[in-house]
Amino acid sequence: MTTIKKLCLFAGASLIAFSTSAFAESTVRVTIAEYSKGTGPYFEEAAKAFEAANPDTKIQIEVVPWDNLQQKLTTDISAGANADLSIIGTRWLLDYVKEGIVAPLDEHITPDFKARFIDTFLSPSVMDGKVYGLPIAASARAMYYNKDIFAKAGVENPPATWADFKTAAEKIKALGGETYGFGLQGKEIETDVYFYYGMWSNGGEIVKDGKSGLDSQAAIDTAKLYKSFIDEGLTQPGVTSYSREDVQNLFKQGKVATVITAPFLSNQIKAEAPNLKYGVAPIPAGPSGDKGTYGVTDSIVLFENSKNKEAAWKFLDFLFTTEQRTKFDKVEGFLPVNAEEAKDPYFADNADLKVFTSLLPNARFAPVIPGWEDIAQTTSNAIQKIYLGQGDPEATLKEAAAKINETLK
Amino acid sequence: MQRATAPYILILPSFLLAAAIILWPLKEIVSLSLHDVNRFGMIRDFIGLEHFRVLFADPDFIAATWRTLVWTAAVVLGTLIVSVPIALILNEDFYGRGIARILIMLPWAISLTMTAIVWRWALNGESGMLNSALRGLGIIDTNIQWLAEASTAFPMQILIGILVSVPFTVTIFLGGLSSVPDDLYEAAATEGAGSWDQFRLITLPLLRPFINIAFVLNTIYVFNSFPIIWATTQGGPANSTDILVTYLYKVGFRIGRLGEAAAVSLIMFAILLIFTIIYVRLAMREAKA
Repeated sequence: MTTIKKLCLFAGASLIAFSTSAFAESTVRVTIAEYSKGTGPYFEEAAKAFEAANPDTKIQIEVVPWDNLQQKLTTDISAGANADLSIIGTRWLLDYVKEGIVAPLDEHITPDFKARFIDTFLSPSVMDGKVYGLPIAASARAMYYNKDIFAKAGVENPPATWADFKTAAEKIKALGGETYGFGLQGKEIETDVYFYYGMWSNGGEIVKDGKSGLDSQAAIDTAKLYKSFIDEGLTQPGVTSYSREDVQNLFKQGKVATVITAPFLSNQIKAEAPNLKYGVAPIPAGPSGDKGTYGVTDSIVLFENSKNKEAAWKFLDFLFTTEQRTKFDKVEGFLPVNAEEAKDPYFADNADLKVFTSLLPNARFAPVIPGWEDIAQTTSNAIQKIYLGQGDPEATLKEAAAKINETLK
Repeated sequence: MQRATAPYILILPSFLLAAAIILWPLKEIVSLSLHDVNRFGMIRDFIGLEHFRVLFADPDFIAATWRTLVWTAAVVLGTLIVSVPIALILNEDFYGRGIARILIMLPWAISLTMTAIVWRWALNGESGMLNSALRGLGIIDTNIQWLAEASTAFPMQILIGILVSVPFTVTIFLGGLSSVPDDLYEAAATEGAGSWDQFRLITLPLLRPFINIAFVLNTIYVFNSFPIIWATTQGGPANSTDILVTYLYKVGFRIGRLGEAAAVSLIMFAILLIFTIIYVRLAMREAKA
């Protein structure tokens, strides 16, 4: 019965498609992922400003929660009812490019336009030498630590290596009470990424030479390391019931001393726990000094079947002016993608953001491979089993790697 | 107009409507399940039953199927067992009955997803209401991580399922009880029947059709119920609380294998259809007898 309901949605969506094509030629529909409460209002305001300057074009913003974005796009595209522009995760882009669903933007991109971007963030959206998307949101990951808890436990500096980190976590445990050193995510989106942080420090890679890196020694060592944190009571109990947001909340409540996450946590702390004394530090390094962080961009793409490509491009051009980018990244707490924007004192003098930008040279972006979500799911399932103690780390990871290699073929 | 054709012509509009919203999607789903489909629903080569073969080779799918049956049976039977006494009590005339009825019905007014999200917070291991209540009462002294493992998460999900199904079921039973004439009880009482006998020999048989309808409708709702499991665990950790709908959602919209997702939904459709047919048969046989 649920399926039937979904199919009715298909039918409904196609009806909407017919009705919108009857509108004036210059209506540009834009699907926006909701990053925070501020996302919708920002885009509505930007649309108004754009319409004021371009009276012949109407911008229609559709805000979708992140969790439903993939589902909405799939249904819309299969019914031919998709918008002209949409935000998508850059890690999904390959699937879209392969099916010829998104249009390359090169004919519109002038050298001047390209020069606006910080190259690190534009390059993930480039495939086969063509630009298929523009980085609408960029972020990286670093370790937030609670200065008060560290001071109480007698830990002076944020840990430079995983070994230091474990010692620090042991000292925090020795304080007694319900405070834990390592806030470890074990549930829902990016459970796999939380594991990769350690894996990269140990010198591992998600995919190497077309094969999964989950069966590498680095991955096995990381699994054992994380499991030892869990078994020795250095993480919050029951890690598999904590999503990223849940661990961030524990951090805000002062129940975990560290959490590895994106810059937007700074904005949240400012609003929700202004008295929390925290610092931002790089993710600890591995025994041979390897380091890594996760770099993420979301892209805004132009659909191949759009009938208003010119008008849509104009809107894109407008969104990526320094003024608009500065406004948006301030609202969301993302990293600046625009070189001029990065010079704005808000970003240039922000101690937290400086740490994030300093990590970018070591940032790993999601590899350009088909079936990223599939691989993420297999990885998350495997490490959840390990965290729960339901599988031997080595055997479980090898099994997952074999499954991923099938997907990669 | 001939008498024999008139009924068919009169039925035609509703038949066409039903066909448009049921048969057409069904045809589309069948076609999706038999073809290679890309993640945007574009149909490629015909591949026969390949999607079904892949599904039956997936241990997660098999586990989700069994779990769906356990989930449905536990929630439906649990709901019936809880609802009958509640309905009997609410049918008595007592001071404050109006308020008691409202309290029982109240969860119905809240969207299922919201109830589930509230429970997700309540079941949070470190800051959840349930743990702090149990600790306050001195029942436990360390927090229980309810949603960390299937062994605690799944029973809690079943309890939430029962909780949200009770209002609907109680409403049906109250309607049934109000149709039982009081003089039957009076007559039974004069003949010397105790309250247990009255319940067993009068209330239950007369309530039977209402229990039947509650059973069927609840089975269909619960079998297809998505929000409780999705909002609390998303079928995790490691697929250990997945039922068929959450499995379907992951395969279809997360991973983008729409062909396999279509096959799952056909299998779900078949299970419910078989259940309904068996049930209707039994009910009709009873009605004849």
